[in-house]
Amino acid sequence: MTGKKLNRTADTQLSLAEAQAFLLERARSRGVQLEVFAQREQHTGVRALKGEVTSFQLSTQQGVALRVLRGGAWGESFTENLSEAALERALDRAAENAELTAPEAGAALVDWPPPPALDLSGEGLSGVTVAQKVAAALDLDRVASGADPRVISVPYGGYDDSVRDWQVANTSGLQRGAQALEATLAVYPLLSENGQSKMDGEWQFTREFTQLDPTRTALTAVERSAALLGARPAPSGAFPVWLSGRAMAELLGLFAPMFSGRMIEEGKSPLAGRLEQLVAAQSVTLVDDATLPTGQRSRPFDAEGCPSAPLTLIERGVLRAVMHNQGTAARAGVGSTGHASRFGLSGAVSVGHSNLFLQPQADQAEAPTGSFSGIQLLGVSGGHAGAHPVTGEFSLEASGFLFERGEQQHALDVFTVAGNILDLLRDVQWIGPELHWTPMGTGAPDVLVGALSIAGQ
Amino acid sequence: MLDEALVAQVLGAAQRGGADFAELFVEDRVSTTLRLHQGELRDARDGNLFGAGVRLLYGTQVVYAYTNDVTASGLLDLARQVAQARGAAGVTDEGGAGGLDFTRVNVTPMQVAREHPLHAAKARKLALMRRAHGAAAGVGAVRTVDVTYLDMVQRVLIANSEGLWAEDERLSTRIACTAIAQDGTDRATGSSNPGAGRGLEFFEERPPEEIGAEAARIANAMLGAAYAPAGKLPVVIGNAFGGVIFHEACGHILETTAVEKNASVFAGKMGQRIAHDCVTAIDDGTIPGAWGALGVDDEGMAPQRTTLIERGVLRSYMVDRVGHLKTGEARTGSGRRANYRYAPASRMRSTFIAPGDRTPDDLIRGVEHGIYARTMGGGSVTPGTGDYNFAVNEAYMIRGGEVAEPLRGAALVGNGAQDLMNIVGVAGDLRLGQGMCGSVSGSLPTDVGQPHILISEITVGGRA
Repeated sequence: MTGKKLNRTADTQLSLAEAQAFLLERARSRGVQLEVFAQREQHTGVRALKGEVTSFQLSTQQGVALRVLRGGAWGESFTENLSEAALERALDRAAENAELTAPEAGAALVDWPPPPALDLSGEGLSGVTVAQKVAAALDLDRVASGADPRVISVPYGGYDDSVRDWQVANTSGLQRGAQALEATLAVYPLLSENGQSKMDGEWQFTREFTQLDPTRTALTAVERSAALLGARPAPSGAFPVWLSGRAMAELLGLFAPMFSGRMIEEGKSPLAGRLEQLVAAQSVTLVDDATLPTGQRSRPFDAEGCPSAPLTLIERGVLRAVMHNQGTAARAGVGSTGHASRFGLSGAVSVGHSNLFLQPQADQAEAPTGSFSGIQLLGVSGGHAGAHPVTGEFSLEASGFLFERGEQQHALDVFTVAGNILDLLRDVQWIGPELHWTPMGTGAPDVLVGALSIAGQ
Repeated sequence: MLDEALVAQVLGAAQRGGADFAELFVEDRVSTTLRLHQGELRDARDGNLFGAGVRLLYGTQVVYAYTNDVTASGLLDLARQVAQARGAAGVTDEGGAGGLDFTRVNVTPMQVAREHPLHAAKARKLALMRRAHGAAAGVGAVRTVDVTYLDMVQRVLIANSEGLWAEDERLSTRIACTAIAQDGTDRATGSSNPGAGRGLEFFEERPPEEIGAEAARIANAMLGAAYAPAGKLPVVIGNAFGGVIFHEACGHILETTAVEKNASVFAGKMGQRIAHDCVTAIDDGTIPGAWGALGVDDEGMAPQRTTLIERGVLRSYMVDRVGHLKTGEARTGSGRRANYRYAPASRMRSTFIAPGDRTPDDLIRGVEHGIYARTMGGGSVTPGTGDYNFAVNEAYMIRGGEVAEPLRGAALVGNGAQDLMNIVGVAGDLRLGQGMCGSVSGSLPTDVGQPHILISEITVGGRA
């Protein structure tokens, strides 16, 4: 290590608000158009195993991400070092990058109208003690360990909470701030019987600590894992498939980029040029709503400060809209839908979903599963490599059961499910009444489709 | 460099709650990301990750805290906070481990640069990207090309209450090219993403033209391909990134992070046969310039070349400090973390199957009806069960011992404990491929690798 690089102990670190003000003032004095995204996140995580806390984590992370607009071209940088010198460097880098990049038609910094009022902090965590958080993690481990004699370990999961404060400001006058709190439980018990091991899990997200229910979360996880024991090889071929809400929501998460205005304008979505066309069964309505009071990815405004509002992407099978940030919207000749996204401080501003869900069918509470023969799909994994938003195709590891004439026969050994998401949406034959959410910010009810390819033995 | 007295003071303050061990990890990382789309530079981003983490061990219990405030007062605040995390502050006096006499670890830099990324102009990096782009754009049916350039320089300081003091600089450069071929509504993608723990001189060895041409070749080869068959078949897997099968199927469950929780099917199997005798597998942190190389691991230990499996017999896990405490196995210099936001965990470095005595043609000739999985995508594993999956980017049928028509949509799934026994042939053409590996301590650069191998039977997740 070269000594000077870490010798910053004498450098005064500015607060986030000071850093933002410092950068905007510097940008204005230089005649630079600048957007500053500032974020501070405090996190607590507790892991327990065999009745003992194995890991306790406390953290505070903060920093600023900059976008400079020069001649219609964006340049970006971020820094977690909030000394004035480091902030100056970050501004220099963003300006330098803006000189190199290609201009994008319609790029602009906007002073957006006020966002909707959203309470994303609930009662907060200020009254919650460390002991209560530790107890939640210990309860998860204790209940899961004791729920079934076949539980051999509860290796993954625990309690996590975070409080995130973020602000967006720009030299066009925008100044926005928000806070969101979340507390989550997750648990993945490992069960073993007759030489076969199975692991499934459950998670819970809330903004009210008192709503967390470690006992229910743990028991559900054990029940799910136990159901997978006794698995036999899956058949191979095309079968009717009953997708659990979780499996359907996981698929929606993998293919959400198809609805991105950025992916569409870059020729990377099979939905390009298909606005107002029928792209799914008439029973399919797909909505992205950043304003859901209990949505995990709810936000009053997007990464550019644009106000959030519900957006219907597919209405009764017809593609009505796609997601846009300010720039993609301008080039598409529409207004921003408030879907500018940023993956942490280090990610580029792009387009992304908030709470994306397939609308349940409340009037179809009775599932036509009494005569169902086929595969019940519990979940899918491997999506980062086995799902292709450019083509809509997927071939994914899956878990589930064999059904015959409405009766669950047995669990299935590791198998794959393959198809095309647009074919699947066109093939939807029934949609259930209850939404299930994933940690990916996507939700869906149970869905029946006519056929998907299954590969087992 | 942080002052030794300050570091000793921080470690001492952190241990005031009675911890057996305290460790400070400080990181200053700069990175550049450039993205070229259709020949235009669309994204240009620089970043500075900057922070410190303090880890305490009470027996095998881990308490970890981190902050961005790497000033003297910020570090001391962090230390006091972490000491009180268990609610037992004041067990030792203010001195704690203060006054440590640090011993500097003699670090041999494993990642060195002749053309350092920090000193190269962006125009130079852009020129490399344009060469890759030019080699892919318009080739055959290729209509869309993205090229991403990434570099990273990470400077770390690791000090602990045992008096260890280690500093290291890790650096990496990478170019990733993705090509989309299109014929009517039919589309296929191809990608090539080599990287190294070296400077820009890496692209003399791997010219950007090769990277672009490889992405275009795969995209064109897969355009119009039929869907892969579904079911259990023999599969020949290509070398280099083909090693992702070992990484997912076996590598993760040989990390003590899984073993210590009894979440590995290989727990308690040391010295036992877990693979066919043609399989020898190694995890190596000592390959100069490798994507997964380290001068020291993130716990300050010199990395090693670790033989995991020797002719089918389990010889070692990958072991970090906590893994050692919990399993009794010797540490292997495998403690790694993505950045200061994570406590270290046992993780892979450059993991590969050693060369065998067959040839790729030999392996393919032995298959009457099966699949040749030439290039791979990524994969994942469920550690507790060993069930894994990975995607094949480029696949072909094998008929009568000959490579035949191209196939799309071939995922492979299986179980690590079972499929290791099914690796029945290993060729001699070992190569490494570069990937990002995600696990409990974040996303890390790791090499995967292997020669061509033959698996006698594995589930192919096709559609035909």
